[in-house]
Amino acid sequence: MKNNSILIVDDEAIVRESLRDWLVVAGYDVSTAETAEEALKLIPKKDFSVMVLDIRLPGRTGLSILKEVKAQRPWIKSIIITAYPSDETMKEATKLGAIDYMVKPLAPDDLEHLVRETIESVGKEPTVITPPKAARKPAAKAGELKKSVVVSKQDFKNLVNNLTKTMDVYGVKPKHGKYVYDRINKADELALNYDITVSPPTVYLLPARETILKFKLGDGAKPEPVTDNTSRAIVGVHPYDIRAIEMLDEAFMTANPDPDYIARRQNTIIVGVENLNPSPKSFAPSMGTHLAENGYDLMLTDLGSKYMVAIGSKKGSDLLKRYTTTNEPTTDDIARQKEVLDEALTKYQLHLDVPRERLPKLLEDSYDDVYWQSRSETCLSCGSCVMVCPTCFCFDVQDDVALNLKEGQRIRQRDGCMLVDFAKVATGENFRQDKASRFRHRIYRKGKYVIERYGRMGCVGCGRCAVACLAEIASPLEAFNAIAASWRAKQTAQRVLREIYPESELYAPRLAQLVRVEQLAAKEKVFEVKLTDGKELGHMPGQFISVSIMGIGESPFGVASSPTRPGSFEFAVRNVGSVTNAIHNLKKGDVLGIRGPFGNGFNVKALEGKDILFIAGGIGLFPVRSLIQYVMDKRKQFGRAIVLFGARTPAERLFIDELAAWKTNPDIEFYETVDRGTPDWTGNVGVITTLIPKVQLDPRKTVAVVVGPPIMYRFVIVELKKKDLADENIIMSLERRMKCGVGKCGHCQINGIYVCQEGPVFSLAQLRNLREAV
Amino acid sequence: MKPKVAFFDFTGCEGCQLDVLNLTGEELLDLLGAIEIVNFREAISNRSDDYDIAFVEGSISREAEIPRLQKIRAQAKVLVALGACASIGGVNCLKNHLPMEQALKTVYGDAAKYYDTIPARPINAVVPVDFYVRGCPPQTVELVKVVKALLLGKKPDIPSYPVCTECKLAGNICIFELGKTCLGPVTRAGCNAICVSGGRKCWGCRGMVDEPNKNSEEEILKKHGLTPEQVMDKFNIYNTYVPEVKK
Repeated sequence: MKNNSILIVDDEAIVRESLRDWLVVAGYDVSTAETAEEALKLIPKKDFSVMVLDIRLPGRTGLSILKEVKAQRPWIKSIIITAYPSDETMKEATKLGAIDYMVKPLAPDDLEHLVRETIESVGKEPTVITPPKAARKPAAKAGELKKSVVVSKQDFKNLVNNLTKTMDVYGVKPKHGKYVYDRINKADELALNYDITVSPPTVYLLPARETILKFKLGDGAKPEPVTDNTSRAIVGVHPYDIRAIEMLDEAFMTANPDPDYIARRQNTIIVGVENLNPSPKSFAPSMGTHLAENGYDLMLTDLGSKYMVAIGSKKGSDLLKRYTTTNEPTTDDIARQKEVLDEALTKYQLHLDVPRERLPKLLEDSYDDVYWQSRSETCLSCGSCVMVCPTCFCFDVQDDVALNLKEGQRIRQRDGCMLVDFAKVATGENFRQDKASRFRHRIYRKGKYVIERYGRMGCVGCGRCAVACLAEIASPLEAFNAIAASWRAKQTAQRVLREIYPESELYAPRLAQLVRVEQLAAKEKVFEVKLTDGKELGHMPGQFISVSIMGIGESPFGVASSPTRPGSFEFAVRNVGSVTNAIHNLKKGDVLGIRGPFGNGFNVKALEGKDILFIAGGIGLFPVRSLIQYVMDKRKQFGRAIVLFGARTPAERLFIDELAAWKTNPDIEFYETVDRGTPDWTGNVGVITTLIPKVQLDPRKTVAVVVGPPIMYRFVIVELKKKDLADENIIMSLERRMKCGVGKCGHCQINGIYVCQEGPVFSLAQLRNLREAV
Repeated sequence: MKPKVAFFDFTGCEGCQLDVLNLTGEELLDLLGAIEIVNFREAISNRSDDYDIAFVEGSISREAEIPRLQKIRAQAKVLVALGACASIGGVNCLKNHLPMEQALKTVYGDAAKYYDTIPARPINAVVPVDFYVRGCPPQTVELVKVVKALLLGKKPDIPSYPVCTECKLAGNICIFELGKTCLGPVTRAGCNAICVSGGRKCWGCRGMVDEPNKNSEEEILKKHGLTPEQVMDKFNIYNTYVPEVKK
């Protein structure tokens, strides 16, 4: 897929060449042109998929190229890059078919990401591994150009007073000597010259609790997604909070567009105000977040008797037109604005000691620093820091059933990685058990993971956490400054929000009917189900699904059957908690909810022609079985199939009929063992690692697929390394706590990656860089 | 078949039981539609020894209460501790700092000889407890939550994190920022920070979280002006009784 051709048109040699080099390394066939004329000559000669176009060129403009391309080669997707975004030009470019644009200076990896997305969105060959993304209307909106006007304070009050008549208006108000966001009924309640609010305005986009589904208990009724489409306005948002909202936009509006967030976001008017009175704990300038270019509808600067108002959107512009008299700013106004902003900048007392671009590398190199341990000693794990953070967005999902036990709601509520149980799974393992690892994880999210994942600062320097933390250890600035290293600056490009269409059914399960239940062992059962809409699940071996019992909750399970056996699918469940217990109580014919398939699954293409060594410990057999079946059904495409299975006792063996069949099947080399034998057990006794030395392997063509309890991996890896297997050829499926399955809730995160997105299948080579993994 | 539910009281003020009645009429009817209440001294006069779920209020402070509780445990399929006294010992345990004779004398004076007492303890110091509805008084919504969970056969989602989390989500200004002190950082949430939201502070009535950082909380209290004695007093109000770790 990567050998698509790309054309870069830019008159700046350095941009042209650096982008070319980057995209060539990424595997694309890249051509470049310096001028419009040169580009137009090249275009007919090659089958370009994507054109990256600087709109300002000497001679004929970029727009003229777009015109020609639209007429002659309409399938080429054009991405505009420009240092001078203007509303008119962008509108024009959009009309001429440009699908997106980026503002210079831009980071080549961001561009690569966009190019890849663009090519994928053309939808060449939808694979079963990638769940279909929501249709994204190709349209780039720059919002209104950042035109500024002057509005009297009285007029602005008039605007707010009128807003309160048509929508819920929230704004900054004084309370006990502090400031809070609260509902306002008239403009006079506002206190816009504040320093910091106790809670961030993001609570109106991600409330403490919100209903995401409504359901009826019992069979047959499909849960209904619920979104909140209330019109709201938030008045008085500081730039750092707007930058936080832009970060949330990346997390919730790009991959797996979140219907609940998007409904709120699109129905919320944001009136910002420049921060002229920074809080003593704020360090926004160090994070580059003291100003906001986008993300608001209006942005005020207090000039005494009047406001300078930057217009960020058509909505904002319309409000001004409707309720105020606007004047063009005079040179005095412009000078005054610069003066107050410059003065505000001098009031910040805290500063980052290193360029913020260095933070990811700085943190990467400081993972084992004693700082995390020593500084987290006094951590109360109270969650205050994450609950007041405007960029924190992790959540938990719970079912709330009415007392009549007939109907209920699925509710998501804020959760956070600093809380003790955040990464604890049903079987009891807690993947971030100690204070130090939780403390480090949060700081890494703020300074590394979020930047790497979303291209935006994970900390906007508001300082709320530093205010909220009683132990006085929460400020990321302190952590960043406390560790030191050197790193090459990474630029972050500004991405303009694109028009997004939410996946309204993202959290709504599909219905499936139970066609067979079989007891496997004392606590394990396998469930065969069929989607009631008659469709196939569309999974690959190693992917997982979320199974919902409305009223009880939702839990993730690996699919235990192979997609080569269509008509239905199976998952198996060990009874360890509420949801698993409810699933165990289901009978043939009962209806349950299914979301997914999620995750990457095993890369079966890469396994073709290889000898496969399956190593399954206990219920690790469930996902492995899916791949074993797959290999059996396409036997000729694979080399040897060697299966090692270990159970704790003979009574805990699973799928015993299948084990017996594998034992006699000439297509499979099957070995099994139990940790503790019984008098009537005649097979191997010993942990699963004792089987590995018994197998002859060719390390050059063997891939080991390992799934089992967390404790098993470390010992199995040691044995496999004795067999000279390369890290790339040791494949594992990891268990983590999962709630959402769509890369949002945060529970499954291992360092910077989300297991539900990039996993659950990883090679050991990948995991070597993920220190929380095994 | 509706599960039969019984309420029992031991040493306590019976405020927890009263609070159960604090449902709206509609909620109460819904509740009675889902369960059959067979024992409830504060509300009904009938008595029955045939029940599935027992809600037990109050701590254990007399020898005679022990066999009575054991009998309830033997009958009930599910035993739920209701309120602070039953869950963590609560304020009753403050007397444990005194010799028992002195405690009796203080309360009953010359009549002390007619009474007996033992150091107060939560009910899980005597019998295994399945679920807890914590607080002084407990939140009615949490009681309903536990009932619903029992009816649905799932574990109730009771938070394991401190009150601070809910307090921040409620948008409250921190008590410490207002120059006062609070036990929120070590106290189990689930109350929606009702006291702080209502202009008070947290007294720790829901008991401590599983892994409270008491050292850190002590340091913070001292930093905010409390003497070591005041710190101890603050912790002791509801949390005098230090549970032995057992399941």
